[in-house]
Parts: sequence; C-alpha cells; structure tokens
Amino acid sequence: MSRTVTGGIPIGFRYTPGVGNGAFLDALRDRGVLLGSRCEACGVTYLPARIFCERCLAELTPGVECGPEGELVSWTVGHVDLDERPLPSPEALGLVRPDRSDTVLMHHLLGDGPWTIGQRVEVVLADERRGSILDIEGFRPA
Amino acid sequence: MFEAARRAYAEAEIDPRTQIDSFVCASEDLQEGTSIFDEYVPDQLGAVQRPVHTVASDGLFALATGVMLIRSGIADTVAVEAHSKASEMRTPGRLDAFATDPVLDRPLGTSALALAGLEMQRYLHVSGHTVADCAEVARRNREHALANPRASYAEAVDPAPLFDPLTREQAARSADGCVVVVLAADREGVAVEGVGWSQDAPSIQSRNWDRAVATERAGAMAYAQAGVAAGDVDLAEVDDTFAYKQLQHLDALGLAELSTDRVDPSGGALGEGYLHEGNGLARVLACVERLRRGEAEIALAQSWRGLPSTSAAVAILRGAA
Amino acid sequence: MSGRRVAVIGAGMTRFVRRAQETGKELSFLAASKALESAGITLADVDAVCLTSAPDAFDGVHRKGDYLSDGAGAWGKPFIRTYVGGGSGVFTPIQGWYTVASGIADVVLVVAEEKMSSCQPHPQGAFLTIFDNMIERPLGPNLLWIFALEMNRYMQAYGLDKRDIASVAVKNKRNAADHPSALLGEAEITVEDVLASETLAWPVQRLDVSPISDGAAAIVMASEDVASRLTDRPVWVQGVGWNLDTTYWTNRDLAYPQYVENAARMAYDMAGVTEPRKQIHVAEPYDPFDYKELHHLEGLLLFDRGTAPEAAAAGVTARDGDLPVCPSGGLLGVGNPIAAAGLMKVAELFWQLRGEAGARQVPGTPERGLAQAWGDLMQVGTVVVMGTEGGPSPTASAATPPVAPRATALREEAFRTAEGAVTIDELDLAYEWDAGEAIGAFLEALRDGRIVATVCTACGRTLVPPRVFCERCFRPTDSWTQVPDAGRVETFSICHVRWDMVPLDPPEIPAVIRLDGTSEGGFLHKLGGVEPDAVSIGMEVEAVWRPVGERTGSILDIAYFRPRRGDAR
Repeated sequence: MSRTVTGGIPIGFRYTPGVGNGAFLDALRDRGVLLGSRCEACGVTYLPARIFCERCLAELTPGVECGPEGELVSWTVGHVDLDERPLPSPEALGLVRPDRSDTVLMHHLLGDGPWTIGQRVEVVLADERRGSILDIEGFRPA
Repeated sequence: MFEAARRAYAEAEIDPRTQIDSFVCASEDLQEGTSIFDEYVPDQLGAVQRPVHTVASDGLFALATGVMLIRSGIADTVAVEAHSKASEMRTPGRLDAFATDPVLDRPLGTSALALAGLEMQRYLHVSGHTVADCAEVARRNREHALANPRASYAEAVDPAPLFDPLTREQAARSADGCVVVVLAADREGVAVEGVGWSQDAPSIQSRNWDRAVATERAGAMAYAQAGVAAGDVDLAEVDDTFAYKQLQHLDALGLAELSTDRVDPSGGALGEGYLHEGNGLARVLACVERLRRGEAEIALAQSWRGLPSTSAAVAILRGAA
Repeated sequence: MSGRRVAVIGAGMTRFVRRAQETGKELSFLAASKALESAGITLADVDAVCLTSAPDAFDGVHRKGDYLSDGAGAWGKPFIRTYVGGGSGVFTPIQGWYTVASGIADVVLVVAEEKMSSCQPHPQGAFLTIFDNMIERPLGPNLLWIFALEMNRYMQAYGLDKRDIASVAVKNKRNAADHPSALLGEAEITVEDVLASETLAWPVQRLDVSPISDGAAAIVMASEDVASRLTDRPVWVQGVGWNLDTTYWTNRDLAYPQYVENAARMAYDMAGVTEPRKQIHVAEPYDPFDYKELHHLEGLLLFDRGTAPEAAAAGVTARDGDLPVCPSGGLLGVGNPIAAAGLMKVAELFWQLRGEAGARQVPGTPERGLAQAWGDLMQVGTVVVMGTEGGPSPTASAATPPVAPRATALREEAFRTAEGAVTIDELDLAYEWDAGEAIGAFLEALRDGRIVATVCTACGRTLVPPRVFCERCFRPTDSWTQVPDAGRVETFSICHVRWDMVPLDPPEIPAVIRLDGTSEGGFLHKLGGVEPDAVSIGMEVEAVWRPVGERTGSILDIAYFRPRRGDAR
C-alpha cells in the first residue's frame, strides 16, 4: 500500500529590490522614466539599471533614460495560468527593447493585436505608481 | 535511487563500499521539497562515509564533474546520479515561476511557459522554421518512443494552446525515474571524449533570445576536447523539452543536417517523459545503449535545464572499438 | 595525484550584515570584483566560475545558482553551483581545485553567497524541511534541536564544562573586532556574558550561536604556471577532503564527527601531513556554535577527543597561542551567511599565510593552514589544507584585507517598509511525498501500537528507522522484527523557542531515544510527563501511545516518551 504525506514549506519572503533595481524603480515611480545603466567598455546599456556589467564585472552607475518607445522583439498570447488551467481570457505578453536600451523588458501587451515582431510600441505607465515593475501597465502600438 | 544504483554497480561489477572513490549527485532542493537534499543521498547509493557531493544542476553537469574528478587524479572511479520524482511536486508551474526574478518578473504573475512561447515565436522568426516543423518533431519523437521500453508518452496529445505558438503536444510531460552512471579511468567501455557546459545571462532582460548560445558554447567546449567536429557525430540525443528546442539545439550544435532518424531515437523527453534534473543522464543513457549495440560510433548528448534557465551541457561519447 | 598544482591567488568579500539592501547578485558582484582586483586580473582572464550557496529557501529563488551566476561573473563561462549544505563554503574551493587540476580551466573564480534575510518570518524557516518529512517533521523540529542534541551528547560524553565552551565564543567575537567585515565583533565580551545569555534550547544559549547574516566571499584560483606569473606568494592547495555520513543521524553517535575525521585524513594524506598538530600552524574550523569549533578540532585530529575545550580555555587556540584557531573571528564573530562564511575562512588563511591579515595576523611564520566546514544533517565534513613555501612574504602589506568591504546594511524598520520591495506571504508550493515501503510499514505498525525494525544479517544490526536496504553493507535487509517501545535517552534538549523564535512555555523536550533491542537504533521524539531538570542522558523511558481510535499511522501515534515506571529516579 502506498502512503503519502502532503505538505509545503511554510515560509514567506521579502525581497529587497537591490541597488540597481532600486534606482530603476525610484525613477519609474517619481519621474515616469525607464532608467538604465551603460557599460562603455562592453558597449551595452542594461535596462533596468544595474550596478555591475554582467560581461566584465565593471561597476556601473544608473543614468541612461530609455524609451518611451521601442521595438517589439517577440510576443506570445497566453491561454493558461500558473497551474496550467485555462485563463478566463487570453493575455498577450511581449519582449520590448526600448530605444537606447540593449536589453528587453518582458511585460503585458495592451490592445487586441495582431502583433508583429519588429513593430514599434510605446510604454504605458500607471497613473498611481509605487515603485514596482507593475508601475508599467504594459506596451501598446506606438 | 537504490534500484538504479544497484543495477549500475552490478553491470560494472563494482562494490560501492570499497571500489568507488567519489559520488556526485544532481538535484535541486525545491524540486524535492527538502532543504538540503544532499543529506538524503548517501545511503541508497552505497556512499555512507565516502566523498559525496551535490551539484545543483542537471545530471549532465554532474557527469562533467565526475570527469573533472577523474582527470584531477583524486578519483579513479566515480558514480554519478540524477533523478526525477516529479510526481511528488504538485505545483510545477509555480515552482518554475519561483525560479524567475522576484522583483522584475514574478510580479507579472504569468506562467514560465510564457518564456517558451516568446522564445519559440522569436526562433521561428529568425530561423525560418515553421510551427509545422515543430509539430513534426513532436510526432517523430513519439514515434521513436514506441520502440523504447522506458517511454511513457508515446501516445499523441491534443494540440491545446499554451502560449502561442506553443501547443500542449509540443511540451514534454514529467516522468519519474533515476539514472546512475559509473565512470572509470581504467576500464573498457563507452568513452567520454569531451564535456562542455555553459549558460547565457540568467536575466530574461539580457539573455540572447535568437539562439541557444549556451548550447553553442557548451558544444564548442566539448567538440574541442574530443577533437571532433559536428560532422563526425552520427547520433545525437538533444533536449526536446519543447519541440522547438530540439531544432534550436541542433542548430546550436551544427547538427541541423543530421538525419532525423539519428536524432533523439529514444523519443527524447517528449516520448520518454521529462526527467527534470535527470534529463541529461537520460540522454546519456540513450546514447550509451546505442553505442554499445554498435548503432553509432560517436554520439552527442546535450541537456538544457528547462524554464526559465539558459544552462546547457554537452557530452561527446565514443563507442568502444 | 596526476593533476596539476593549484594555488589561491586572490580573495575578496563583502561586509557581513544582518539585512543587506543589495540583491544576492549584487552581493556576489561585490565579492567577486574584489577578488579579481586582489589577484590583479580581470574577468576576461577567468576561464570558469564555481559558485556555492546554501538552501534556495533563504534567497527565495528556485535554482538560485542560475540566478546568482551573473553577479558571480559567469556570463558565457562554464559555471556550476555545488551545494553540500553548511559544508559548501569550504567545498567550493575544492570544486575550484578540481576544475583547475583537471585541466578544464587555468583560472577560476570561486564565489560563495548567502542572503538569508529574504526568508520570513525568520530564516530558520528554511531549515524546517531538512528533517525527514514522514517521521520527523510532524514533531515540529527546529534547527536548534540538532545543535542542542549534539552539544548535550558531546558535553556528556566527555564531562565538559560550559565555561570552557563559552570561551570559544569570547575568543572569536574578540578576534572579529579586528575584521573589517564583521557583524558581531566585540572587543569586551566575557564568558559571564555568554553564560548569562538567554537559554534557547538547553544547553544552547543565545551567545553560543552565530548570527543570521547576508554576505558574499570570493577567491581566485589558478594553475601553477599562471599563479607563478601573477604573484610571488601563491598559496597552494596542498590537500582536499570531503566525506558524507548516513542520513540516519539518530543512529550515529553525535559525540564525535567521524565524517570530519574522514575528510581530514583524505586532505592530510594528499598534503603529506602526518602530524597535524605540529604541521598545521593556523586553523579555521567551522564555528556556527561555540561547541562546534571544539567538536571539529577533535574530528580534525588537532586535539584528542574531549580535550579541546580545556585547551581553548587555557589559551592554546588564541591568536598568540600554540595553535591559533579562527583568528578571523569565525562565524561567531564575523557572521554566518552560511556558504560565504565558509569561504571567508579560506580567504582568511590566504591572508594569514601571506602575512596580510593586519591586526588579525598570527605571530611567527605560519606556513600551513586548514579550513573546515560542516553541514547537512550533521553529516558532511569538507576540509582544505593550504600552504606557502617559506611563509609570509617579507614585503607583505600590513594593511588588513578585506580592504573597505562593502554591503549596505538595512535596519529592520527600513527593511520592512522600503518601497520597491516585493513580499510573498507564503510560498505556494505543494508536495505529496511518498513514504516508501519501509516507512510506510513503520507508520502502519505505529497505528497498531507496534514499533518495527528491519534486520541486516550481514552486519547484524537491527535498524530503526527501518529501511529496505542496509546502508552499511549496501544490500537489502533480510527481515522485519518488532522491537520494544522502551529504551534509553541518548541525548535530549530543553527547547524554549519555536523555529520562528516565538517563546514556548512550557518548553519542549526533544530527545533521541535508543530503543531496547536495536543497534545504535534511535529515533527522534519528545519526552513528556517529566520535569525538564529530571531528565538525564541514559534515563530509561517508555512510549506513551495515543488511544487506538486517535492513531492515524503517524510518528505522533506515540504521544511522547516518559520515564519508565520503576525507574530508580
């Protein structure tokens, strides 16, 4: 006979955003801008802002404003949730590379589509912002 | 684990209590529901009070580690283990999501499958492959699996949409299982000619979305060590956790021209079942079996760690003369 | 040994703080960049990266090796995270060693990181699942139990004096006052302070324990050719050893860490060390609790069993003593971000052996040092022996590394209220663990009011908890048998706090009970029906069962163990 025990791990978490993300989230909340960091040695601008370059470990200073428009690098429409159960209605997500950034943001795509890789999109910010990635509502066709 | 170990040791004619110098296991705590899974491995491997360590990665990385231990001279014989007990993990979608960045990605609340949809969409765009090509991979791997006594998923599955253009039948389903490999410095058998491993940026924001660059680098490392080129490989067991990944991995390894009946003849994860941290060793096992039967001379086994990881490893194996 | 010689050529670390503002990635970067600077190289010179970090449940990211890899400099490079619980910080240099010795890489960056503060309400929660899900977790064990049970057994086995043990906490916290990264350096602490501190789980008191911390450390290792080009004082890895004991910790004698001795012998053999006490000039054993430093010193064959406490109290292990131990200040003083703390010890040896430890420098010309860590379920020993040829460089800088270590400490208030932080109230992962054949049968028998065991005829042992194979002989066990539901107390603790540090009144009395008729057979349970100060090791006890109707096939079908009726006490 097989006998099982169910359970979980009854702990919670509090994640500090860190120094880099902190600068990005502050700029997003206070000024409504997308703040990145540039590594001149590697020629890469990271968005959100970082305090180190992952390619060379140089220390970076947040300071490059990116967007508000950008290019749609990829898109998908999701039909299932975290438990693979059907979503009430499909949700579009995209990878967007804001102007002046070399990296992408993953976020909601706003509108009915259809979406095309390469199309121009623009960021939509929430009216009330509190320093969260969700201060960005998503991206819509520019 | 005990069962797999016992069989491997019997085949190798080896007593783990006295003849195995080191043991390497691959596991991830949260997949098991235990902190610290390394605690729970020695007894069933015959490794009590022996040198044992765990790599938090796929089994193919543990195999590469075993190779390093032997080449360093500190061990002549190493047992490598990896497994899946996925049936005990009841919320796999939430587990994968828990591997994403807690500040930048998780708050969106979406399944990690979104990453597969996004990557597949991009891959089809840059490679010129089609959804039909991917569907064919899934169909063919399941056909291969019909001949594999270990396979669990040889039957067809409904093409329900997950994250466009990814559909259900193109995503491997979990299976339980364990693979133990015994490596030895001074015995006849299938030879490990080269190992390689790498990863791309873990960040969703800064990783390469066009190509499986980690597999490119892991492959280059292994090819160089083995002193062989892609054209020398006559059998490949590559990761197919998603059907499009098989195509992407073949591109990354320079194996796009390899005949389709020489790719994932075991049926891969799509046909056998996805073994999570055991996936890479399942690919190795499939290669070893075929090399021993003389069905190939030089085989390549490759694994990718699954969503949302970019990590990949490669081993190049040569059949005994 | 057919592999090539490997040396440590640089080291760096962050401050160890209670709550860091930086993410784990950023902590890794701060340590890694310092180590590269120390070695005089750039990331482009690094061929592979080795990383370790202890339970993912601290940082709160599944597969946190991948997550941390960018901060550790692993972009596009071969990268593996090894993980052996608390032993990790000293294992990862071993990983670095074999990565170079095998020829895979000429230069490796080795990084250890921990961000324990993410785990709520208390990082100890990450340890809830180190225990067996079937037969231990239902008892509500917490991490302090295992230390208290081991400490009590160790003290009782050798008749040790708590004052002598407490002297280690004093030594280390005072030593740490000279460590720029230290969280808990205290120049004025005394044995009385330690003995007066709150009892958490007797015999463990608050100041016997090292603090939860965030932090990272990193070293650079290189092959002989490269090391000789880059530095005039490479610190060679002379020996490495590691060893893992059985999961069945309740069947082991906790008075002595045999697996630490096994790991030490492996390292000593490789290093050609035949008289450790004479040939090791400075030691950094793992000291998450004060008694552990002593327990480990004995396992490392640096002191005879039961004699380390007296030696410590007499000053033998002081910085200016005959064998300086934890001149860094150890975990007790510098802090305990688990994996990083272990690697910090290796970094300390690097600085000590080069004469660069400044105010912490041990006198004389130490040529060989040892670092050791420990972990899992009191199971793993990891040991590294390092040495120079000719002792510290005569031109060694007097400046104390780590120079200007960084990490931004957040006060609790700031941590709790900071905007931008993301909170998860409870981890929503669900599991359904299979008991397996043996434990399944064990639990069914408990429902019937019986305790069953398996027998291995090859080694002659009767095993509780029962298993279908004997781990010593590696063969299936031969038969089942019933054992009495009575036995003796192997060790116990009196625990006044829950895992989240909420006080327990009355206290709980966890114990390892060895049942009559079993060989080294014991299992974890609790004592009841007895006053805490009437409990003793060796006391005879018997099970008190729940009424038949209330039994569910659980370890809790035994309500507790009480003194055997007719016991002389």
